[in-house]
Amino acid sequence: MAEKKVLEIRNYTKVYGAGKKAADDVSLTVEAGDIYGFIGHNGAGKSTTIRAVVGVLDFTEGEILIDGHSVKSEPMECKKITAYIPDNPDLYENLTGIQYLNFIADVFDIGAKEREERIAKYAGSFEITDSLGDLIGSYSHGMKQKLAIISALIHEPKLLVLDEPFVGLDPKATFTLKEIMHEMCAKGTAIFFSTHVLDVAEKLCNKVAIIKKGRIIASGTMEDMTEGHSLEEAFLEVENE
Amino acid sequence: MNKSILLLKNLLLSTSQSNIYRHSTDPKKKSRVVGNAVGMLILYLMLMAYCVANCIGYGKMGIIDIVPILCALTVSILAFFFTFLKSNGYLFAFKEYDMLMALPFSVPTVAACRFLYMYVKSLPWYLSVSLAMLIGYGVYAKAAIAVYPLWILLSLFLPLIPMLLASFLGFLIAKIGSGFKKKNLVQTVLTFILILAAFGSRFVIESVMRNGKVEEVLKQASEMAEETARYFPPALWFANAVTKFALSDILLLVGISIFLFGVVFAIVGANYRKINSALKSHEASKDFRLTSQKKNSVVNAIAFKEFKRMTGSTVYLTNVGMGEILAALFGICVLIFGFDRIVSTVTSNAPMDPAILRPAIPFIVYFFLGMMSTCACSPSLEGKNYWIVQSLPVEKKTLYQGKMLYNMYLTVPFMFFSTICVCISAQVSLIDTILYLVLGFCLLAFSTAWGCVCGMRHMRLDWENEVEVIKQGTAVMIYMFPNMFVCMGLVVGSVFLGMAVDHTLLALCFILIVAILALLSYRRVMILAQKNAGL
Repeated sequence: MAEKKVLEIRNYTKVYGAGKKAADDVSLTVEAGDIYGFIGHNGAGKSTTIRAVVGVLDFTEGEILIDGHSVKSEPMECKKITAYIPDNPDLYENLTGIQYLNFIADVFDIGAKEREERIAKYAGSFEITDSLGDLIGSYSHGMKQKLAIISALIHEPKLLVLDEPFVGLDPKATFTLKEIMHEMCAKGTAIFFSTHVLDVAEKLCNKVAIIKKGRIIASGTMEDMTEGHSLEEAFLEVENE
Repeated sequence: MNKSILLLKNLLLSTSQSNIYRHSTDPKKKSRVVGNAVGMLILYLMLMAYCVANCIGYGKMGIIDIVPILCALTVSILAFFFTFLKSNGYLFAFKEYDMLMALPFSVPTVAACRFLYMYVKSLPWYLSVSLAMLIGYGVYAKAAIAVYPLWILLSLFLPLIPMLLASFLGFLIAKIGSGFKKKNLVQTVLTFILILAAFGSRFVIESVMRNGKVEEVLKQASEMAEETARYFPPALWFANAVTKFALSDILLLVGISIFLFGVVFAIVGANYRKINSALKSHEASKDFRLTSQKKNSVVNAIAFKEFKRMTGSTVYLTNVGMGEILAALFGICVLIFGFDRIVSTVTSNAPMDPAILRPAIPFIVYFFLGMMSTCACSPSLEGKNYWIVQSLPVEKKTLYQGKMLYNMYLTVPFMFFSTICVCISAQVSLIDTILYLVLGFCLLAFSTAWGCVCGMRHMRLDWENEVEVIKQGTAVMIYMFPNMFVCMGLVVGSVFLGMAVDHTLLALCFILIVAILALLSYRRVMILAQKNAGL
């Protein structure tokens, strides 16, 4: 039985003012239950693509569909089922952690009981419950990252998009996040994330795409991509071609 | 290159709009920079026209000689208040503090460069006043050619002493505040107290200066100058320097400015790291216990976010909250001292019936409350957090409705309180009181929606310091100045119309007009939101 396509990027192209292509004819598909890794050098076009997927960045050509809805023409439908965690989350520093989570929960119309359960669950997993009453401005980078992750999980999205999610997380939090990703994936959530850490991608993802200078140079299942080698070897091989 | 100059140059470059224009490849961004520049130019020209018009008035009254002192006083007062409200944010607890302090600059260099950066950024305002008054003075006093370069040169030094005094006060507040757990709150309260004290002292000085001889003072510029010199000698130094070419006064103005600069930054520099460390560090309570949570509507959630944004920033709170506090104080003062007595004090016992001012009550209250609209700067204040609302399933119109709702939550209670106080004291009839409350509500609705239009049209997210959008943002300037001038005109206009038209009918007409304007502005906000303005 064919899996349901949650994210479909078709011939996505982003051209900046001077004609420079940050992303060129990018196409990929993330299905329900996939943990899809998006890897590439710095400046390869990962964040540009991710920002376009979540509706933060406009794009020049192509189509991005989330659960069949176009990011361009039905942005609200897409955003209602998507959660995004940027690489360096700039959160509202003057809110406390709990105020921020309630703000996000209000936006997604989450009932009081459900939000309490989810906040308790995820804040407990990331061990930041006792800090939720403090201002976000007083949080370390890692704590902000944890809070951004909890806010992304609070509405149980169909598509979870993460930009370098493991940067700044301590080993325990990294493990917790991986566990949560597996748990969500088992429930049918599609996860699309960028990373530089190839070991993590290799162990976590079932599919991967490599982007270079704005173009996808290789993509497929982890087995097809590695063919008995490590992902690092496969990555270097296609990068050097 | 000298390290101070290098740092100052980089600070200016990092916030330079021309640099953005030069290097941006995004045509939208470029046109926004041009739009902002044109908007600011119009404001500078408006200010200059106002100053020239004042000088023409003085010329016609035959008291053109007081212009140099008035110029010095106006620039000094502006510089003092602008700096005082900005020192927190520019000098202390600014965003890039860690980055700057990690670089090989001495602490006093960083502090002094932040001050000079603030000085250069504010200079166009002071020069607009000074140069406009020079033009007026030059024409009417038939000034010698040498006056022009000297005036221009000394205008560069004129704001320094008041700015240094204001910075020092800001430093003291930051130093006191840094010793408390609730640093922001202490700083905000101290700032409010000092501003209100300054407002109060203005009336005291004015009454001393009047002292029953206002006409003589106006007629004799020299007497006025001597009187002023008792309170603020730099104004006299400036006036003597440009009118009498007094070398000693030139040296005093320049020398004291430079000396004071050295002294202030030796003191500030010695305490700078300690104060900033205290202001930028946060004590974690780590005692939160998760209890039951409450559900809110999306617009209320956004309004609450705006509330927390405002209360979390001393700069934002003092700028926005001042109008509310002044409105409340005005209401209390009128209730305690009586409407008639306040009117006779403000008008210097002018022979008039205070009752003629009744139709202006809603506009007087609005003058305080409409001075600043949170909506004019809140779109820009999203800054680097904009990704949050962009990636959430929140329609742009809902976002701006939330922002507007917050401004109404903030201002309407103060309007009700102040208007009711004044109406009780002025013995306004019940029906007129109700109409004035409705008119006040409509005025605030207009201020909110129009502020939002300005905020959306001139949205700027790439700021490094929130002062750039709260105090110097094009949106705020474009909202604030025309609004103030129009409001002053409406105060006068309503009094004159009130002499010919029934007050109730007049209030009804104003309600209708303002309600239409508010609705049109609200519609404009919705259209701009639909077009994704500011993205």
